[in-house]
Amino acid sequence: MAEVQVQEKGGKGGKVRSKKQNTRVDMTPMVDLGFLLITFFMFTTTFSKPNVMDLGLPAKPKDETKKPPPTEIKLSNSISLLLGKDNKIFWHQEDNTSLTDQNLNETSFDREGIRKVIEQAKANAADKTKFTVIIKPTDDAVYKNFVDILDEMAITKSEQYGVTDLKPWEKAIYDKRVGNSGAPAAPATK
Amino acid sequence: MARVKPKRHGVVTDMTAMCDVAFLLLTFFILTTQFKKPDVEQIKPPSSISEKLLPDASLMTINATPDGKFYFQPVENASERVKLLDNMGQKYGITFDNNEKAAFQRVQAIGVPMNQLKSYLDLPEDEQKNFRSPKGIPMDSTNKQLVDWVEQSLKVNPEYKLAIKGDVTTEYPKVKSLFEGLRDIDFLKFWLITSQEGNPNE
Repeated sequence: MAEVQVQEKGGKGGKVRSKKQNTRVDMTPMVDLGFLLITFFMFTTTFSKPNVMDLGLPAKPKDETKKPPPTEIKLSNSISLLLGKDNKIFWHQEDNTSLTDQNLNETSFDREGIRKVIEQAKANAADKTKFTVIIKPTDDAVYKNFVDILDEMAITKSEQYGVTDLKPWEKAIYDKRVGNSGAPAAPATK
Repeated sequence: MARVKPKRHGVVTDMTAMCDVAFLLLTFFILTTQFKKPDVEQIKPPSSISEKLLPDASLMTINATPDGKFYFQPVENASERVKLLDNMGQKYGITFDNNEKAAFQRVQAIGVPMNQLKSYLDLPEDEQKNFRSPKGIPMDSTNKQLVDWVEQSLKVNPEYKLAIKGDVTTEYPKVKSLFEGLRDIDFLKFWLITSQEGNPNE
């Protein structure tokens, strides 16, 4: 092993003795290799596991809970997010009579965009404990948008949220908006 | 009194003990490592801030490819796989022989409709790997085979957990139909596989 052989200071000429053979083997390279392999296996075991996100769906019969009847949730206590095509996201706090394509606001999937919107809406909510986010992915949305928005819920700690379909009146405005918007805005970065 | 000369030591440390421990650890890691199996199709999961790791439970996985095909990956347990195949066979009126059952135990993921499953399992193993189903497992309002796979698996063992791995560009309506199907069989808790991303609040 890591042994420093002490040189004998013989050399007086006398009898030539047969040298005593040292039986120790230098194990250093083997240990080196061993630790290298350990490191490799340690890293591969921890990194092969993918991350997961919990998702619990509401049970089917209780359909009325996922819809936001205006009697239960006031408009100011809720915000509707529409996930559109090309990674666009729209939000509004209107109902079927007051929603127009002017007050359907477009924003982006990043820190400056949707997160600010949600935080503002939450701060302005009349009753913060009942603040609800209603997520409405359109048929143009992709899976990434859905995961991103769930992520956003986790980041802004909005625990009350629901996923539902677009109402027909929202769909009409959305279609109008997307059709009218002309040149597509820069896609979200996230 | 003669002066006691300090004994000269060689600079030796006994590495045997360390070496033993190191190799013990090495053996442990070698035996416990499970290498990731090659994916049937390339799927890039979306990123999220979630730091939860995929648990070790008996896991079935649904893969959703960018073009909206579904693959079902049954649990690893071979004997339970056979039961699952029997159940599915009963439901769809197909009987499988022993060779096909053996092939089903080895299969990585299923991406064919039930009526093609038999011929798929009859293929030699390397052809199975290269086989790309044009449609995947059907999942729409009239033909919910994907949900049947989940339901029959749960019949074999209700403890199974489900993970869904979707691609960044998978269209939402596809995912929605899957979610609706899962709600129909009252299977409401599952995991979405995501990739790691830093917490942007920090």
